[in-house]
Amino acid sequence: MLSPFEESLLSIMMVIIMFGMGASLTFKDFKLSMRHPQAIGVGFLSQYLLMPFIAFALARLLDLTIEQTVGLVLMGCMPGGTTSNIFAYFSKSLLSLSIMMTICSTLAGFILVPMWMAFYTQGIDDAFRIPPDQIARLLFLLLIPTLIGMWLRRKNANIGAIIELMGGLLGAVVIVFIVVTWVPRNWRLLAETSWQVYAAVILLGLFGFLFGYIFSRLLRLNPQKARTVSMETGIQNGPLAALIVIMTFTGETQQLILLIPVMYSLFIVLNSAWVTVIYRKITNREESARDQAKVEPS
Amino acid sequence: MSNDHLYDSAPWTPFYGVAKNAVTSADSVEETHFFSIPAMIVAASEKYKTQTAFTTCMPNGMNGHLTYAQVDEMSDAFAVYLRESLGLNAGDRVAVQMPNCLALPVAAFGILKAGCVLVNVNPLYTRREMAHQFNDSGATALVIVDMFADKLEDILANTSVKHVVLTSISQWFSPLIRGVLNLVLKYWNKAIPKHNLNAQKLDAAIEIGRKRKAEKRLDVAAYWQDIQREDTALLQYTGGTTGVSKGAELTHGNLLSNLEQVNSVAGGHIEAGTECILTALPIYHIFAFTVNLLAFYHKGAHNVLVPSPRPIQNCQRAFDNYPITWISGVNTLFNALLNEEWFTVYPPKTMKVALAGGTALHKSVAERWRTVVGTPIAEGYGLTESSPVICFNPIGHERADSIGIPAPSTEVRLVDDNGVTVGLGEPGEIIARGPQIMKGYWNRPEETAQTLKDGWLYTGDIGTMSEDGHFHIVDRKKDMILVSGFNVYPNEVEDAIARLTQVQESAVIGVPDDQTGEAVHAYVVLRESGLSAQDIIKHCKTELAAYKVPKKVVFREDLPKTPVGKVLRKDVRASVVKSETTAQQ
Repeated sequence: MLSPFEESLLSIMMVIIMFGMGASLTFKDFKLSMRHPQAIGVGFLSQYLLMPFIAFALARLLDLTIEQTVGLVLMGCMPGGTTSNIFAYFSKSLLSLSIMMTICSTLAGFILVPMWMAFYTQGIDDAFRIPPDQIARLLFLLLIPTLIGMWLRRKNANIGAIIELMGGLLGAVVIVFIVVTWVPRNWRLLAETSWQVYAAVILLGLFGFLFGYIFSRLLRLNPQKARTVSMETGIQNGPLAALIVIMTFTGETQQLILLIPVMYSLFIVLNSAWVTVIYRKITNREESARDQAKVEPS
Repeated sequence: MSNDHLYDSAPWTPFYGVAKNAVTSADSVEETHFFSIPAMIVAASEKYKTQTAFTTCMPNGMNGHLTYAQVDEMSDAFAVYLRESLGLNAGDRVAVQMPNCLALPVAAFGILKAGCVLVNVNPLYTRREMAHQFNDSGATALVIVDMFADKLEDILANTSVKHVVLTSISQWFSPLIRGVLNLVLKYWNKAIPKHNLNAQKLDAAIEIGRKRKAEKRLDVAAYWQDIQREDTALLQYTGGTTGVSKGAELTHGNLLSNLEQVNSVAGGHIEAGTECILTALPIYHIFAFTVNLLAFYHKGAHNVLVPSPRPIQNCQRAFDNYPITWISGVNTLFNALLNEEWFTVYPPKTMKVALAGGTALHKSVAERWRTVVGTPIAEGYGLTESSPVICFNPIGHERADSIGIPAPSTEVRLVDDNGVTVGLGEPGEIIARGPQIMKGYWNRPEETAQTLKDGWLYTGDIGTMSEDGHFHIVDRKKDMILVSGFNVYPNEVEDAIARLTQVQESAVIGVPDDQTGEAVHAYVVLRESGLSAQDIIKHCKTELAAYKVPKKVVFREDLPKTPVGKVLRKDVRASVVKSETTAQQ
């Protein structure tokens, strides 16, 4: 895991990245994302109905231990985090929608996470709850830099563009850094982990992407919005889950449960990276197709 | 029987009232009669000194800008560089090859101020096309953007060009932004190739000119003071219908007349010194050159330059960041904007008028524009050879499917193959005479004689006129297909095919046929699958007379197009004829 110093460094980087993401946005973008509020509703449903169920079903199918089941279901119940926003930006999905969904799901998580945990992990006594200061922290990390970025861009388009580039670059560096350094740091853990856990954490993310997309398309969201919901559904707030586990459990149980959020966090970055490449290509193709398409009749 | 009186009585005259009634500001009485373009530039620069003249807006919002005074001073210095350092003389040709960016107006104005002739070159040209145009025009100097330096390097030795001045899209952006943008262009977009050209940098050239000017106390006006309206200002290359690229010689008088004509019909809608025009069309094209660059400079407008409008998202930041009041565009550009949610949900509130030209504006696009943006979209018509405006729709009184009425002091007639005027409502070739019509094609007396007869420009376009003098384009004369003695206009067939929703676009051409002389063939691009050749033919049978129905339908991935998005039927025809000849061999 990360040292406290690395953790605060990562937080600062996240602030700078969100600063850059904000600089790519205008208030119009948010108004556009709110123009179809059903997109947020659909995202909400896929995140809080689909994901906990997928997690539970995977745990059962793969015959995970009790501790691992708790970890996986907790992972499935998590709201989205800033990571999903960064990948939404890189994949040319609707960043404004992604941010709105992260905010909504984080706020709702306050009530829904303990509720789902109680439902899916009956018999385990510990009460799960999201510490309120963590929610405030996340919203602060997300909202303030985004708003400042937006404001700066409005004041000066040149500064806005520089910040956006910086945020994007730093985002890419952080992702590459995590991917490259994670394995050598944790090879022992990786070697000891059973194949069921690998399968569970990898499939949870992938099924999230897949079902989030299918569900959105069934509910008639356009492909770009569906891709945004898909990303938001698949990418859960791993660090928040880890934190909750640390605060709720102690001793060996804590370490056993913690394995899941930690493993999930690694593989979701890997999987999001290639999904992003695909989504980005699709968005580019759609853009050029729209460029050519006929005007729809008024 | 001649119908000259039908046209010479100018039945459209009453509509000038409509256009003129729109004239509201006191500005309309200002002096617009200049002897040369430099005189106009200097007058406008003096008047709007401190205002922003040009802004280049990149897709990510990065921008740089120049004021009227800066454009004036730098183009002066560049004129001195051309005359004193390179030793060019009045009348020498200087080519400019770049997309829309700050360097373009400075270079173009500098060349004209030096008394030289400007040659606009399409930056997307291939090496062969570049070499042809440099040699044909005899250009001795070239200002080129670094993005195409590698193409130039390969051909430079075989051209007339002796001096190369290099610029970049980021020219005159603030240093930090410039540095970052160059890095992005070089390493992310890979748009700036390596080269070993022996070239002067544009800002260095201007610095040299500036020093020379101060040392020798030079008066730049001396270079252009003696220019007359008959003197050539611009060689604007056009393929025309014959396919050989040739330079239309446009004089200072041609361009200024067209500017005055635009001004007399649209001027009332243009508030001097306050407008903001989006220039997404390339300025190397005559439409943007005359309308955006010259006419709106004259009016003190803020010109927002978009280097590349494709994909259309590249224009989003320009709309976000600047209060765009005017836009000029072609059908495909408006069409693309109307397909974007960010544009249709929040159309620019400041928008006043959209000007359409270059190719026919589709009725559906025009109607949707009016619904979505809520402001007029006025279609005009013209050719490179006519600087370009011949006809226009009075703003606020546009007619669908019409190119409107002739510009003031322009005569327009419709004639048959013998040059005899045709009757009312009958299709005939549009011919036009007026102060905006070119001097001729550069060094091509034969081609000039075919196109300019007795002062009349033969446009090669077939049109009709309504009773009240509104014109309507039927098709290109050269594209007309003769099936068993019947005329088939490809536009009509393409329109019929376009009514099928699965069709994106098509090109209809005539192919030699043993039985009917020519046969109608359609090359179709689908936007979704599920349509067979038979379906299209069946659909056409319900829409068109039997002889107009395509005999053969071929599906294509895409169709050759001009930079402004016109489908090049002649290229389709050439590829078809070529492939059939090879097949026979």
